[in-house]
Amino acid sequence: MAARRSGRLGKWLVSGPPLLYLLVFFAVPTLIMALASFRTPGEFGGLAPLVDEVGALDLNVDSYARLIAEPVYAQVFLKSVWYALVTTLACLALAYPLAALIARSTKKYRNLLLLLVILPFWSNFLIRIYAWMIILGPQAALARSVNGILATFGMEPVSLLFSSFAVLVCLVYVHLPFMVLPLYANLEKHDQALLDAAQDLGASAWQRFWRITFPLSLPGVYAGAALVFIPALGMFAIPDILGGPDDSLIGNVIKQQFLEARDWPFGSVLSIVLTVAALLLAGLAAWVGRGNLGTPSSARDARA
Amino acid sequence: MKRLVLLLAALLFVLPALAAKDELHLYNWNNYLAPETVKRFEEACKCKLVQTYYSDNEELLAKLAAGAKGYDMYVPTSNAVQALIKSGRLKPVDKAQLTNLKNIEPRHLNTPFDPDNKFSVPYAMSTTIIGYNDEKIRELGLPTDTWALIFDPKYLEKIKGRVTVLDSANELFAAALKYLGYSANDVDPKHWDEAVAVIKKAKPYWAAFNASSYIKELTVGNIWVAHGYSNDIFQANLDAQAAGRKFKILQGMPKEGAVLAVDNMVIDKNAPRPDLALKFVNFMLEGQNSAELTNLIGSGNPNTAAVKFIKPELFNNPAIFPDKAVQAKLEQLQDLTGAQRRLRNKQWTGIKAGR
Amino acid sequence: MRKRSLGLWLAAAAGYAFLYLPLVIVVVYSFNDSRLNAEWVGFTLDWYYKLLHNEEMLAAAGNSLLIALVASLVSTALGTMAGVAMHRYRLRLLPVLVLTPIAIPEILLGVALLIFFVLLNITLGLVSVALAHIAFCVGFVAIVVRSRLAGMDDSLTEAARDCGATPAAAFRYVTLPLIMPGVIAGALMAFTLSIDDFVITFFTAGAGTVTLPLQIYSMIKIAVTPEVNAVSTLLMLLTLALIIIASRLAPSLLGTQEEKP
Repeated sequence: MAARRSGRLGKWLVSGPPLLYLLVFFAVPTLIMALASFRTPGEFGGLAPLVDEVGALDLNVDSYARLIAEPVYAQVFLKSVWYALVTTLACLALAYPLAALIARSTKKYRNLLLLLVILPFWSNFLIRIYAWMIILGPQAALARSVNGILATFGMEPVSLLFSSFAVLVCLVYVHLPFMVLPLYANLEKHDQALLDAAQDLGASAWQRFWRITFPLSLPGVYAGAALVFIPALGMFAIPDILGGPDDSLIGNVIKQQFLEARDWPFGSVLSIVLTVAALLLAGLAAWVGRGNLGTPSSARDARA
Repeated sequence: MKRLVLLLAALLFVLPALAAKDELHLYNWNNYLAPETVKRFEEACKCKLVQTYYSDNEELLAKLAAGAKGYDMYVPTSNAVQALIKSGRLKPVDKAQLTNLKNIEPRHLNTPFDPDNKFSVPYAMSTTIIGYNDEKIRELGLPTDTWALIFDPKYLEKIKGRVTVLDSANELFAAALKYLGYSANDVDPKHWDEAVAVIKKAKPYWAAFNASSYIKELTVGNIWVAHGYSNDIFQANLDAQAAGRKFKILQGMPKEGAVLAVDNMVIDKNAPRPDLALKFVNFMLEGQNSAELTNLIGSGNPNTAAVKFIKPELFNNPAIFPDKAVQAKLEQLQDLTGAQRRLRNKQWTGIKAGR
Repeated sequence: MRKRSLGLWLAAAAGYAFLYLPLVIVVVYSFNDSRLNAEWVGFTLDWYYKLLHNEEMLAAAGNSLLIALVASLVSTALGTMAGVAMHRYRLRLLPVLVLTPIAIPEILLGVALLIFFVLLNITLGLVSVALAHIAFCVGFVAIVVRSRLAGMDDSLTEAARDCGATPAAAFRYVTLPLIMPGVIAGALMAFTLSIDDFVITFFTAGAGTVTLPLQIYSMIKIAVTPEVNAVSTLLMLLTLALIIIASRLAPSLLGTQEEKP
């Protein structure tokens, strides 16, 4: 196919620059910190010297052992996976109609609509979260109506703010564009003629969506899911600002290791586990979806 | 397109170089230096004061531990000063040039954190106390001079979901230890376990662990009791009055005692301009300059010469300028050893994981 | 032209409402006569006035914009190349290198980059921040571009090559226009990530370097005043204006004038 002409030169020309950049400015620094996971924390912060007074290399697996010995960290990690999963699904549900609408709009409005999706995210993150605190606050309309309804059923008022609900709403809000954009990039190339033909043949709107559009959009779905799930897993600022007393996530724990606890090796261990887990989950999803990458063959199946 | 990228990249390199003058790089807390003071200092030293900000001692320590350079001075709290001295990051101050050092109250000099003030000079202070909505608390008839207000379920029942505590393991443990009658710097693991039990019992009644937005919530009346810093609570009251609220936000100093945080000026070992740094320290030791910060944010002041410049209502506020009896019960937090930090973090994670 | 379903319109409208409700509050509260971003007190233009006289904040905003422009341009270029390479060739290392920066906790990457820069004696400043931003933005662009290419018919490119086009020409005139929506989506994401980044910027910024997030986050324990709302509003409008101008100046590049075959 393409291989015989692209040649090795082409391969290096295209993959070379990003590879080089990431090796230098990402891989090397990260490996330094990965090495830190085997070192001892400095008594007052940072890391203890790599070579101790006797001249021997001070490397150990204490921090890894600690992760296994203290199950509370695994518990927090699982809670974070759960939050990230819910966030991803909610983002998908909200983003799909948005991306579909933009993709189907006429050329004139398409880029404008796309810009409108991302425009709010050029304001500062903190300000947007504070805006949510106002919206979810006990004196605002939303909380009052919810509690009013609960009161008519004789139930206790709930606080929308400082709760898991608030954390999830904000997690979804903050990650929404990262689901919309990849979905849009995929949906934009769908041929409307396919859907028109299906409609002519009697397919309902739901059938057209479920058997044609959705399968063809799966690469976009996976890309969006990856770009939401993975960062959501490491989020800490949102629970910090409007989480309840039980809403500490693994991102918060990792941040604490580098700050209050001054335990960089343990922070590195937690980070490595988080990263590897995220990559494995992403890899798993990609492998499961391998047969559904929207290639022409699967489009044929979809038309069946 | 290529030209645009090159132009932008060039700007990135050129802009910083354009600003090379006599500059003092101060890494400070935000809003911890009055603008008038800055102007006066710049005129006095014929230099430019460049401030960048951090909002947590630990952020400062982490950045310095990773090797950040270029700062002349920073303003860490005493326990962070301890850590910095022990890791050899500070330049000794030349006391001969600090003609105004005598202005500092003797009890703030020569502390265990920095014997003989070799490296640090006190700047400003605050206490960690209880801030409360006076109207609501009066209605409910709750005491405001004890840590029991945030730890005892019999009081907490009446204010469930309306209390926040600081999102800081060290501060919350200190409060719990004080409540139990121990020293805030107690490191006995058995006492720490007791503190954990106290915290876990009270946690279901708390709205959140919050170190940032609790002031807002207190001022608007969503939160009625907050474990927080005295300057923030002072400011919350000013904001509440400015917004025309019927209630006041008052400061409650617990009778069991509280944490005192003294922030100090220190000079980085590799400071580019230690001469300017010393000038700044001496400048801030002058009464008028020191007082400007207190008048701005309601911070405590260790400078005796500043008293005559401080607004009377601030000076007579017992939470900002506590009397001798209260002073005896205030403690500064000591830095913990590595093993202690590990234990504390494990307990803290357990508390916050809802276990 | 088929009628689009009402359901789709309603769902999308709900999505936009969800996106814009907080933004409306942000903009409205920039006129709020209260230091706190907590409740409406009264109308005032004070904060805009204060902002325009606040050199620090304006410099921070300018730095953020500059870094975001450079970082998004470079990371879009590198990310597009990475996305194309991952689609076309069987690569092992690049996909991992591209995906990991997205997964890795920011604080680890921030500390790592700081240590790295200090080791190599690179001066900390705007440049170090930009380099750091590019490192974590490349992945986002690459993933979007690659997903755009997935399932795309390679026959068009093949045909171009068969007609004698060089690989470069085939890329420029055939592949690039086809993936342009993906490239734009990636660029928008990279810009957004860069302009709002705090943790990595905190560690890699120099002694005199302030970006808007650094400035704003340092206010978090005191009060995030409406001045921040004001600067956010202005920055949004400015960026919007810049993009509209850019799309007018280079419509073919941004695909706003593409003709469907």
